[in-house]
Amino acid sequence: MATIIDIKEEIALQVKDFEYTYAGADAPSVKKLNMPIAKNSITALIGPSGCGKTTLLRSFNRMHDLYPGNKYAGEILFKNRNILDKNEDLIHLRTQIGMIFQKPTAFPMSIFDNVAYGLRLQGIKNKTELQDRVEKSLQNAAIWKEVKDRLKHDANGLSGGQQQRLCIARAIAVEPEVLLFDEPTSALDPISTAGIEELVVELKEKVSIIIVTHNMQQAARVSDYTGFMYLGELIELGVTENMFVTPTEKLTEEYITGKFG
Amino acid sequence: MTHTHKRIIINRIVMSLSSLSALIGMGFLFWILGVLIYNGVDALNWNIFLNEGAPPGHEDGGLKHALIGQLYIVGVATLAGVPLGVLAGTYLSEYGQKSKLAETIRDISDIMMSAPSIVIGAFVYAVVVMPMGHFSGWAGSIALTIIMLPIILRTTDDMLHLVPSTLREAAFALGAPKYKVIIQVVYRGAKAGILTGVLLGIARVAGETAPLLFTSFNDNFLNTNMNESMASLTVTMFNYATSPYEDWQKLGWAAAFILSMFILSLNIVGRLFLLKKKGR
Repeated sequence: MATIIDIKEEIALQVKDFEYTYAGADAPSVKKLNMPIAKNSITALIGPSGCGKTTLLRSFNRMHDLYPGNKYAGEILFKNRNILDKNEDLIHLRTQIGMIFQKPTAFPMSIFDNVAYGLRLQGIKNKTELQDRVEKSLQNAAIWKEVKDRLKHDANGLSGGQQQRLCIARAIAVEPEVLLFDEPTSALDPISTAGIEELVVELKEKVSIIIVTHNMQQAARVSDYTGFMYLGELIELGVTENMFVTPTEKLTEEYITGKFG
Repeated sequence: MTHTHKRIIINRIVMSLSSLSALIGMGFLFWILGVLIYNGVDALNWNIFLNEGAPPGHEDGGLKHALIGQLYIVGVATLAGVPLGVLAGTYLSEYGQKSKLAETIRDISDIMMSAPSIVIGAFVYAVVVMPMGHFSGWAGSIALTIIMLPIILRTTDDMLHLVPSTLREAAFALGAPKYKVIIQVVYRGAKAGILTGVLLGIARVAGETAPLLFTSFNDNFLNTNMNESMASLTVTMFNYATSPYEDWQKLGWAAAFILSMFILSLNIVGRLFLLKKKGR
Protein backbone atom coordinates (compact mmCIF):
# COMPACT_ATOMS: atom_id res chain seq x y z
CA MET A 1 0.00 0.00 0.00
CA ALA A 2 3.00 2.12 0.19
CA THR A 3 3.42 4.69 -2.54
CA ILE A 4 6.83 4.32 -4.12
CA ILE A 5 7.62 6.31 -7.22
CA ASP A 6 9.66 5.00 -10.08
CA ILE A 7 13.12 6.40 -10.18
CA LYS A 8 14.32 7.52 -13.59
CA GLU A 9 18.02 7.67 -12.72
CA GLU A 10 20.29 4.74 -12.27
CA ILE A 11 19.74 2.84 -9.04
CA ALA A 12 22.57 2.65 -6.47
CA LEU A 13 20.88 0.40 -3.95
CA GLN A 14 17.72 -1.65 -4.18
CA VAL A 15 16.04 -2.79 -0.98
CA LYS A 16 13.82 -5.87 -1.50
CA ASP A 17 11.43 -7.28 1.10
CA PHE A 18 13.88 -6.25 3.75
CA GLU A 19 13.21 -7.12 7.37
CA TYR A 20 15.37 -6.45 10.36
CA THR A 21 14.98 -7.81 13.88
CA TYR A 22 17.08 -6.70 16.85
CA ALA A 23 18.54 -9.31 19.19
CA GLY A 24 15.94 -10.47 21.69
CA ALA A 25 13.05 -8.63 19.98
CA ASP A 26 9.90 -10.52 19.02
CA ALA A 27 8.84 -8.34 16.13
CA PRO A 28 10.99 -6.90 13.36
CA SER A 29 11.87 -3.19 13.58
CA VAL A 30 11.82 -2.84 9.82
CA LYS A 31 9.08 -4.74 7.99
CA LYS A 32 8.90 -5.99 4.37
CA LEU A 33 10.49 -2.87 3.08
CA ASN A 34 11.01 -2.19 -0.62
CA MET A 35 12.90 0.88 -1.68
CA PRO A 36 15.14 2.03 -4.52
CA ILE A 37 17.97 4.48 -3.80
CA ALA A 38 18.89 6.69 -6.75
CA LYS A 39 22.50 7.03 -7.81
CA ASN A 40 24.22 10.39 -7.36
CA SER A 41 21.20 11.78 -5.59
CA ILE A 42 20.32 12.50 -2.02
CA THR A 43 17.62 10.39 -0.45
CA ALA A 44 16.33 11.61 2.90
CA LEU A 45 14.69 9.28 5.38
CA ILE A 46 12.22 10.97 7.68
CA GLY A 47 9.74 9.73 10.25
CA PRO A 48 9.04 9.86 13.97
CA SER A 49 11.50 8.45 16.52
CA GLY A 50 11.55 4.67 16.54
CA CYS A 51 10.19 4.35 12.99
CA GLY A 52 13.23 2.35 11.89
CA LYS A 53 14.99 4.89 9.69
CA THR A 54 18.34 4.65 11.49
CA THR A 55 17.95 0.87 11.71
CA LEU A 56 17.52 0.76 7.94
CA LEU A 57 20.47 3.12 7.41
CA ARG A 58 22.76 0.99 9.55
CA SER A 59 21.83 -2.07 7.51
CA PHE A 60 23.37 -0.60 4.35
CA ASN A 61 26.90 -0.97 5.75
CA ARG A 62 26.00 -3.88 8.05
CA MET A 63 26.84 -1.82 11.14
CA HIS A 64 24.43 -4.04 13.07
CA ASP A 65 26.85 -6.92 12.68
CA LEU A 66 29.05 -5.41 15.40
CA TYR A 67 26.49 -6.55 17.93
CA PRO A 68 25.47 -10.18 18.16
CA GLY A 69 22.04 -11.69 17.68
CA ASN A 70 20.51 -9.38 15.07
CA LYS A 71 18.62 -10.84 12.12
CA TYR A 72 18.29 -9.65 8.52
CA ALA A 73 15.81 -10.99 5.98
CA GLY A 74 15.21 -10.07 2.36
CA GLU A 75 17.80 -8.45 0.14
CA ILE A 76 19.72 -5.23 -0.33
CA LEU A 77 21.19 -5.20 -3.83
CA PHE A 78 24.34 -3.21 -4.43
CA LYS A 79 26.42 -3.66 -7.59
CA ASN A 80 24.53 -6.79 -8.54
CA ARG A 81 25.04 -8.55 -5.26
CA ASN A 82 23.04 -9.01 -2.10
CA ILE A 83 25.06 -7.30 0.62
CA LEU A 84 23.10 -9.15 3.31
CA ASP A 85 24.72 -12.37 2.13
CA LYS A 86 26.55 -14.22 4.88
CA ASN A 87 29.72 -14.32 2.79
CA GLU A 88 29.75 -10.59 2.14
CA ASP A 89 33.21 -9.13 2.91
CA LEU A 90 32.21 -6.46 5.43
CA ILE A 91 35.57 -4.72 5.38
CA HIS A 92 35.32 -4.29 1.62
CA LEU A 93 31.63 -3.31 1.82
CA ARG A 94 32.38 -0.58 4.36
CA THR A 95 35.04 0.95 2.13
CA GLN A 96 32.38 1.22 -0.59
CA ILE A 97 29.57 2.41 1.66
CA GLY A 98 30.82 4.95 4.20
CA MET A 99 29.04 6.45 7.18
CA ILE A 100 28.86 9.74 9.04
CA PHE A 101 27.49 9.64 12.56
CA GLN A 102 25.25 11.82 14.69
CA LYS A 103 28.07 13.06 16.89
CA PRO A 104 31.44 13.86 15.33
CA THR A 105 33.75 10.88 15.77
CA ALA A 106 37.24 12.35 15.41
CA PHE A 107 39.80 9.73 16.40
CA PRO A 108 42.25 10.64 19.18
CA MET A 109 45.05 11.44 16.73
CA SER A 110 46.17 14.30 14.51
CA ILE A 111 43.96 15.87 11.85
CA PHE A 112 46.17 14.39 9.13
CA ASP A 113 46.15 10.90 10.65
CA ASN A 114 42.37 11.02 10.96
CA VAL A 115 41.90 11.58 7.25
CA ALA A 116 44.72 9.19 6.34
CA TYR A 117 43.26 6.46 8.55
CA GLY A 118 41.08 4.81 5.93
CA LEU A 119 43.76 5.23 3.27
CA ARG A 120 46.37 3.53 5.41
CA LEU A 121 43.91 0.72 6.08
CA GLN A 122 43.86 0.17 2.33
CA GLY A 123 47.61 -0.20 2.39
CA ILE A 124 48.58 3.19 0.98
CA LYS A 125 51.97 4.01 2.48
CA ASN A 126 53.46 6.36 -0.10
CA LYS A 127 53.89 9.72 1.65
CA THR A 128 53.16 11.97 -1.30
CA GLU A 129 50.12 9.98 -2.30
CA LEU A 130 48.81 10.12 1.27
CA GLN A 131 49.44 13.86 1.44
CA ASP A 132 47.73 14.48 -1.89
CA ARG A 133 44.66 12.48 -1.04
CA VAL A 134 44.35 13.94 2.47
CA GLU A 135 44.56 17.45 1.05
CA LYS A 136 42.04 16.68 -1.68
CA SER A 137 39.60 15.17 0.80
CA LEU A 138 39.93 18.09 3.19
CA GLN A 139 39.33 20.46 0.28
CA ASN A 140 36.28 18.53 -0.85
CA ALA A 141 34.98 18.62 2.70
CA ALA A 142 35.44 22.41 2.74
CA ILE A 143 37.73 22.42 5.74
CA TRP A 144 41.18 22.60 4.12
CA LYS A 145 41.60 26.33 4.63
CA GLU A 146 40.86 26.08 8.32
CA VAL A 147 43.20 23.20 9.08
CA LYS A 148 46.01 23.34 6.53
CA ASP A 149 48.39 24.99 9.01
CA ARG A 150 47.69 22.58 11.81
CA LEU A 151 47.46 19.16 10.24
CA LYS A 152 49.66 17.74 12.99
CA HIS A 153 47.40 19.03 15.77
CA ASP A 154 45.04 16.83 17.74
CA ALA A 155 41.73 16.55 15.91
CA ASN A 156 39.84 16.86 19.19
CA GLY A 157 40.88 20.51 19.35
CA LEU A 158 38.54 21.35 16.47
CA SER A 159 35.01 22.67 16.97
CA GLY A 160 32.04 20.31 16.58
CA GLY A 161 31.24 21.54 13.09
CA GLN A 162 34.86 21.28 12.01
CA GLN A 163 35.10 17.78 13.46
CA GLN A 164 32.03 16.72 11.52
CA ARG A 165 33.55 18.05 8.29
CA LEU A 166 36.77 16.27 9.20
CA CYS A 167 34.78 13.04 9.54
CA ILE A 168 33.26 13.67 6.13
CA ALA A 169 36.76 14.25 4.71
CA ARG A 170 37.87 10.99 6.32
CA ALA A 171 34.90 9.15 4.82
CA ILE A 172 35.32 10.52 1.29
CA ALA A 173 39.10 9.97 1.31
CA VAL A 174 38.58 6.28 0.59
CA GLU A 175 36.29 7.22 -2.34
CA PRO A 176 33.14 5.32 -1.37
CA GLU A 177 30.22 5.01 -3.76
CA VAL A 178 27.55 5.53 -1.15
CA LEU A 179 27.62 7.72 1.97
CA LEU A 180 25.22 7.19 4.85
CA PHE A 181 24.51 10.20 7.07
CA ASP A 182 22.89 9.49 10.43
CA GLU A 183 21.45 12.81 11.60
CA PRO A 184 24.79 14.48 10.88
CA THR A 185 23.81 17.93 12.14
CA SER A 186 21.75 17.16 15.22
CA ALA A 187 24.72 18.00 17.48
CA LEU A 188 25.67 21.19 15.61
CA ASP A 189 24.77 24.87 15.70
CA PRO A 190 22.80 26.44 12.80
CA ILE A 191 25.86 27.88 11.04
CA SER A 192 27.76 24.60 11.10
CA THR A 193 24.56 22.86 10.01
CA ALA A 194 24.27 25.10 6.96
CA GLY A 195 27.91 24.33 6.11
CA ILE A 196 27.35 20.57 6.30
CA GLU A 197 24.15 20.80 4.25
CA GLU A 198 25.94 22.72 1.50
CA LEU A 199 28.69 20.14 1.55
CA VAL A 200 26.26 17.21 1.31
CA VAL A 201 24.67 18.75 -1.79
CA GLU A 202 28.10 19.19 -3.41
CA LEU A 203 29.08 15.63 -2.61
CA LYS A 204 26.27 14.04 -4.60
CA GLU A 205 28.19 14.58 -7.81
CA LYS A 206 30.49 11.79 -6.76
CA VAL A 207 28.51 9.66 -4.34
CA SER A 208 24.99 8.50 -3.69
CA ILE A 209 23.76 9.80 -0.37
CA ILE A 210 21.22 8.57 2.13
CA ILE A 211 20.54 10.92 5.02
CA VAL A 212 18.46 10.24 8.10
CA THR A 213 17.12 13.40 9.64
CA HIS A 214 14.65 14.50 12.27
CA ASN A 215 14.53 17.87 10.69
CA MET A 216 11.96 18.05 7.92
CA GLN A 217 13.23 21.41 6.70
CA GLN A 218 16.63 19.81 6.29
CA ALA A 219 15.14 17.00 4.22
CA ALA A 220 13.31 19.56 2.10
CA ARG A 221 16.43 21.69 1.66
CA VAL A 222 18.97 19.07 0.67
CA SER A 223 17.31 15.96 -0.70
CA ASP A 224 16.13 14.90 -4.14
CA TYR A 225 14.01 12.05 -2.84
CA THR A 226 12.34 11.65 0.51
CA GLY A 227 11.19 8.46 2.11
CA PHE A 228 8.72 8.64 4.98
CA MET A 229 8.86 5.74 7.41
CA TYR A 230 6.38 4.87 10.11
CA LEU A 231 6.39 1.90 12.51
CA GLY A 232 9.07 0.08 10.55
CA GLU A 233 7.42 0.49 7.16
CA LEU A 234 8.14 2.74 4.24
CA ILE A 235 4.91 4.65 3.78
CA GLU A 236 5.92 6.79 0.86
CA LEU A 237 8.93 7.48 -1.31
CA GLY A 238 8.72 10.42 -3.65
CA VAL A 239 10.48 13.35 -5.25
CA THR A 240 11.15 15.70 -2.34
CA GLU A 241 9.28 18.73 -3.75
CA ASN A 242 6.17 16.69 -4.38
CA MET A 243 6.37 14.92 -1.03
CA PHE A 244 6.29 18.13 0.93
CA VAL A 245 3.68 19.86 -1.23
CA THR A 246 1.32 17.14 -2.36
CA PRO A 247 2.00 13.89 -0.53
CA THR A 248 0.00 10.91 -1.74
CA GLU A 249 -0.40 9.07 1.53
CA LYS A 250 -2.59 10.45 4.28
CA LEU A 251 -0.04 9.46 6.96
CA THR A 252 2.71 11.37 5.18
CA GLU A 253 0.56 14.47 5.02
CA GLU A 254 -0.31 14.21 8.70
CA TYR A 255 3.35 13.81 9.68
CA ILE A 256 4.55 16.64 7.48
CA THR A 257 1.88 19.00 8.72
CA GLY A 258 2.79 18.16 12.29
CA LYS A 259 -0.33 16.25 13.30
CA PHE A 260 1.92 13.66 14.99
CA GLY A 261 5.59 12.97 15.39
CA MET B 1 10.92 29.81 63.03
CA THR B 2 10.15 29.68 59.32
CA HIS B 3 10.70 26.69 57.14
CA THR B 4 13.57 28.35 55.29
CA HIS B 5 15.25 29.20 58.57
CA LYS B 6 15.14 25.60 59.67
CA ARG B 7 16.62 24.47 56.40
CA ILE B 8 19.46 26.94 56.62
CA ILE B 9 20.33 25.74 60.12
CA ILE B 10 20.21 22.05 59.14
CA ASN B 11 22.38 22.86 56.17
CA ARG B 12 24.95 24.53 58.42
CA ILE B 13 25.01 21.57 60.81
CA VAL B 14 25.50 19.03 58.03
CA MET B 15 28.15 21.18 56.39
CA SER B 16 30.13 21.61 59.63
CA LEU B 17 29.94 17.90 60.47
CA SER B 18 31.08 16.79 57.03
CA SER B 19 33.83 19.40 56.89
CA LEU B 20 35.05 18.35 60.33
CA SER B 21 35.15 14.69 59.30
CA ALA B 22 37.06 15.56 56.16
CA LEU B 23 39.53 17.59 58.22
CA ILE B 24 40.06 14.69 60.63
CA GLY B 25 40.80 12.34 57.74
CA MET B 26 43.16 14.83 56.13
CA GLY B 27 44.72 15.48 59.53
CA PHE B 28 45.78 11.86 59.91
CA LEU B 29 47.26 11.85 56.42
CA PHE B 30 49.38 14.91 57.10
CA TRP B 31 50.27 13.63 60.56
CA ILE B 32 51.61 10.40 59.02
CA LEU B 33 53.49 12.34 56.36
CA GLY B 34 54.82 14.71 58.98
CA VAL B 35 56.15 11.96 61.26
CA LEU B 36 57.65 10.17 58.24
CA ILE B 37 59.40 13.27 56.99
CA TYR B 38 60.58 14.28 60.47
CA ASN B 39 62.11 10.88 61.24
CA GLY B 40 62.91 9.82 57.69
CA VAL B 41 64.78 12.88 56.48
CA ASP B 42 66.75 12.82 59.71
CA ALA B 43 67.85 9.25 58.96
CA LEU B 44 68.66 9.90 55.32
CA ASN B 45 72.23 10.13 54.07
CA TRP B 46 74.18 9.02 51.02
CA ASN B 47 75.42 5.85 52.70
CA ILE B 48 71.89 4.53 52.70
CA PHE B 49 71.92 4.35 48.92
CA LEU B 50 75.53 3.16 48.65
CA ASN B 51 75.89 0.53 51.37
CA GLU B 52 74.36 -2.81 52.03
CA GLY B 53 72.98 -3.96 55.34
CA ALA B 54 75.39 -4.15 58.25
CA PRO B 55 75.17 -5.67 61.71
CA PRO B 56 73.86 -3.35 64.39
CA GLY B 57 76.50 -1.01 65.72
CA HIS B 58 78.22 -0.49 62.37
CA GLU B 59 77.74 3.08 61.33
CA ASP B 60 77.89 2.44 57.58
CA GLY B 61 74.79 0.26 57.24
CA GLY B 62 72.60 1.11 54.23
CA LEU B 63 69.57 0.03 52.28
CA LYS B 64 71.14 -0.55 48.87
CA HIS B 65 70.33 -4.28 49.07
CA ALA B 66 66.69 -3.58 49.90
CA LEU B 67 66.28 -0.87 47.25
CA ILE B 68 67.72 -3.04 44.50
CA GLY B 69 65.83 -6.13 45.68
CA GLN B 70 62.62 -4.09 45.70
CA LEU B 71 63.30 -2.89 42.16
CA TYR B 72 63.87 -6.46 40.97
CA ILE B 73 60.81 -7.94 42.64
CA VAL B 74 58.43 -5.11 41.68
CA GLY B 75 60.02 -4.79 38.23
CA VAL B 76 59.48 -8.44 37.34
CA ALA B 77 55.95 -8.30 38.76
CA THR B 78 55.25 -5.25 36.57
CA LEU B 79 56.68 -6.88 33.46
CA ALA B 80 54.42 -9.87 34.00
CA GLY B 81 51.35 -8.16 35.45
CA VAL B 82 50.94 -5.22 33.08
CA PRO B 83 50.68 -7.09 29.77
CA LEU B 84 48.56 -9.82 31.35
CA GLY B 85 46.25 -7.29 32.99
CA VAL B 86 45.92 -5.04 29.95
CA LEU B 87 45.25 -7.96 27.61
CA ALA B 88 42.73 -9.51 29.98
CA GLY B 89 41.00 -6.13 30.34
CA THR B 90 40.95 -5.86 26.55
CA TYR B 91 39.29 -9.25 26.33
CA LEU B 92 36.62 -8.20 28.84
CA SER B 93 35.79 -4.88 27.23
CA GLU B 94 36.20 -5.67 23.53
CA TYR B 95 35.52 -9.39 23.11
CA GLY B 96 33.79 -10.86 26.17
CA GLN B 97 31.66 -7.74 26.77
CA LYS B 98 28.57 -8.86 28.67
CA SER B 99 28.98 -12.60 28.12
CA LYS B 100 28.75 -14.97 31.07
CA LEU B 101 32.46 -15.75 30.98
CA ALA B 102 33.38 -12.05 31.01
CA GLU B 103 31.00 -11.26 33.86
CA THR B 104 32.40 -14.19 35.87
CA ILE B 105 35.94 -12.96 35.32
CA ARG B 106 34.88 -9.48 36.48
CA ASP B 107 33.31 -10.89 39.64
CA ILE B 108 36.31 -13.07 40.44
CA SER B 109 38.72 -10.23 39.88
CA ASP B 110 36.67 -7.97 42.15
CA ILE B 111 36.89 -10.63 44.84
CA MET B 112 40.62 -11.03 44.25
CA MET B 113 41.10 -7.31 44.63
CA SER B 114 39.79 -7.45 48.17
CA ALA B 115 41.55 -10.71 49.07
CA PRO B 116 43.96 -10.19 51.99
CA SER B 117 47.43 -10.00 50.52
CA ILE B 118 48.79 -12.30 53.21
CA VAL B 119 46.52 -15.06 51.89
CA ILE B 120 48.01 -14.62 48.43
CA GLY B 121 51.45 -14.83 50.04
CA ALA B 122 50.48 -18.10 51.72
CA PHE B 123 49.15 -19.41 48.39
CA VAL B 124 52.40 -18.66 46.57
CA TYR B 125 54.28 -20.18 49.49
CA ALA B 126 52.32 -23.39 49.01
CA VAL B 127 52.57 -23.63 45.22
CA VAL B 128 56.00 -22.09 44.54
CA VAL B 129 58.18 -21.87 47.63
CA MET B 130 57.39 -25.34 49.00
CA PRO B 131 58.00 -27.24 45.74
CA MET B 132 61.19 -25.24 45.08
CA GLY B 133 62.30 -25.84 48.62
CA HIS B 134 63.47 -22.30 49.28
CA PHE B 135 62.40 -18.66 49.27
CA SER B 136 63.08 -16.72 46.08
CA GLY B 137 62.69 -13.37 44.39
CA TRP B 138 60.62 -15.09 41.69
CA ALA B 139 58.09 -16.22 44.30
CA GLY B 140 57.86 -12.63 45.57
CA SER B 141 57.27 -11.35 42.06
CA ILE B 142 54.60 -13.98 41.43
CA ALA B 143 52.75 -12.97 44.60
CA LEU B 144 52.87 -9.29 43.60
CA THR B 145 51.77 -10.10 40.05
CA ILE B 146 48.70 -11.88 41.41
CA ILE B 147 47.85 -8.86 43.53
CA MET B 148 48.46 -6.43 40.68
CA LEU B 149 46.54 -8.35 38.04
CA PRO B 150 42.92 -7.64 39.08
CA ILE B 151 43.67 -3.93 39.57
CA ILE B 152 45.09 -3.48 36.08
CA LEU B 153 42.52 -5.78 34.53
CA ARG B 154 39.59 -3.85 35.97
CA THR B 155 40.95 -0.37 35.24
CA THR B 156 41.74 -1.40 31.67
CA ASP B 157 38.25 -2.85 31.30
CA ASP B 158 36.66 0.31 32.73
CA MET B 159 38.82 2.70 30.74
CA LEU B 160 38.25 0.91 27.44
CA HIS B 161 34.56 0.91 28.25
CA LEU B 162 34.66 4.71 28.54
CA VAL B 163 35.76 5.04 24.91
CA PRO B 164 32.50 5.91 23.12
CA SER B 165 31.16 3.05 20.99
CA THR B 166 30.56 5.52 18.16
CA LEU B 167 34.33 5.91 17.88
CA ARG B 168 34.67 2.16 17.35
CA GLU B 169 31.79 2.20 14.88
CA ALA B 170 33.40 5.06 12.97
CA ALA B 171 36.60 3.03 12.59
CA PHE B 172 34.66 -0.06 11.53
CA ALA B 173 32.72 2.09 9.07
CA LEU B 174 36.01 2.91 7.33
CA GLY B 175 36.64 -0.79 6.84
CA ALA B 176 38.99 -1.42 9.75
CA PRO B 177 39.35 -4.96 11.07
CA LYS B 178 38.65 -5.41 14.77
CA TYR B 179 42.22 -5.73 16.01
CA LYS B 180 43.16 -2.49 14.26
CA VAL B 181 40.15 -0.72 15.74
CA ILE B 182 41.30 -1.81 19.20
CA ILE B 183 44.99 -1.01 18.80
CA GLN B 184 44.75 2.17 16.74
CA VAL B 185 41.59 3.80 18.03
CA VAL B 186 40.38 2.32 21.32
CA TYR B 187 43.80 2.08 23.02
CA ARG B 188 44.63 5.61 21.96
CA GLY B 189 41.41 6.90 23.40
CA ALA B 190 42.02 5.11 26.70
CA LYS B 191 45.79 5.65 26.87
CA ALA B 192 45.85 7.99 29.85
CA GLY B 193 43.36 5.90 31.81
CA ILE B 194 45.21 2.63 31.26
CA LEU B 195 48.52 4.25 32.22
CA THR B 196 46.90 5.49 35.42
CA GLY B 197 45.67 2.00 36.20
CA VAL B 198 49.15 0.61 35.61
CA LEU B 199 50.77 3.21 37.87
CA LEU B 200 48.22 2.70 40.62
CA GLY B 201 48.66 -1.05 40.33
CA ILE B 202 52.43 -0.73 40.74
CA ALA B 203 51.98 1.68 43.63
CA ARG B 204 49.66 -0.78 45.32
CA VAL B 205 52.04 -3.76 45.19
CA ALA B 206 55.17 -1.73 45.91
CA GLY B 207 53.91 -1.22 49.45
CA GLU B 208 53.08 -4.88 50.14
CA THR B 209 54.91 -6.63 52.97
CA ALA B 210 52.85 -9.62 53.98
CA PRO B 211 53.03 -11.55 50.69
CA LEU B 212 56.80 -11.03 50.53
CA LEU B 213 57.40 -12.39 54.03
CA PHE B 214 56.34 -15.82 52.72
CA THR B 215 57.97 -15.67 49.35
CA SER B 216 61.06 -13.57 48.77
CA PHE B 217 61.73 -13.49 52.51
CA ASN B 218 64.69 -11.22 53.20
CA ASP B 219 68.43 -10.86 52.91
CA ASN B 220 70.71 -8.47 54.71
CA PHE B 221 73.07 -8.27 51.74
CA LEU B 222 72.82 -7.39 48.09
CA ASN B 223 71.56 -10.25 45.95
CA THR B 224 70.52 -10.00 42.33
CA ASN B 225 69.78 -13.69 41.84
CA MET B 226 66.01 -14.02 41.62
CA ASN B 227 66.36 -17.68 42.51
CA GLU B 228 67.37 -16.88 46.06
CA SER B 229 65.69 -15.07 48.86
CA MET B 230 65.85 -11.36 48.29
CA ALA B 231 65.65 -8.21 50.35
CA SER B 232 62.80 -5.76 49.82
CA LEU B 233 62.23 -2.32 51.28
CA THR B 234 59.05 -3.36 53.00
CA VAL B 235 60.33 -6.51 54.73
CA THR B 236 63.62 -4.79 55.59
CA MET B 237 61.69 -1.90 57.06
CA PHE B 238 59.64 -4.32 59.14
CA ASN B 239 62.74 -6.12 60.43
CA TYR B 240 64.70 -2.98 61.19
CA ALA B 241 61.84 -1.10 62.77
CA THR B 242 60.99 -3.96 65.12
CA SER B 243 64.63 -4.52 66.10
CA PRO B 244 65.94 -3.25 69.43
CA TYR B 245 68.91 -1.42 67.85
CA GLU B 246 68.66 2.30 67.43
CA ASP B 247 70.70 2.51 64.20
CA TRP B 248 68.57 -0.19 62.61
CA GLN B 249 65.42 1.65 63.69
CA LYS B 250 66.77 4.76 61.98
CA LEU B 251 67.30 2.80 58.80
CA GLY B 252 63.73 1.54 59.18
CA TRP B 253 62.50 5.16 59.19
CA ALA B 254 64.58 5.92 56.13
CA ALA B 255 63.09 2.89 54.35
CA ALA B 256 59.58 4.00 55.30
CA PHE B 257 60.29 7.49 54.00
CA ILE B 258 61.75 6.33 50.68
CA LEU B 259 58.91 3.86 50.13
CA SER B 260 56.22 6.43 50.91
CA MET B 261 57.73 9.03 48.63
CA PHE B 262 57.98 6.48 45.80
CA ILE B 263 54.37 5.41 46.18
CA LEU B 264 53.15 8.97 46.71
CA SER B 265 54.82 10.14 43.52
CA LEU B 266 53.43 7.18 41.54
CA ASN B 267 49.98 8.11 42.80
CA ILE B 268 50.40 11.77 41.99
CA VAL B 269 51.69 11.06 38.49
CA GLY B 270 48.84 8.59 37.96
CA ARG B 271 46.25 11.14 39.02
CA LEU B 272 47.82 13.85 36.89
CA PHE B 273 47.35 11.62 33.85
CA LEU B 274 43.73 11.16 34.76
CA LEU B 275 43.25 14.90 35.23
CA LYS B 276 44.82 15.59 31.86
CA LYS B 277 42.43 13.11 30.29
CA LYS B 278 39.40 14.68 31.92
CA GLY B 279 40.56 18.15 30.98
CA ARG B 280 40.45 17.33 27.31
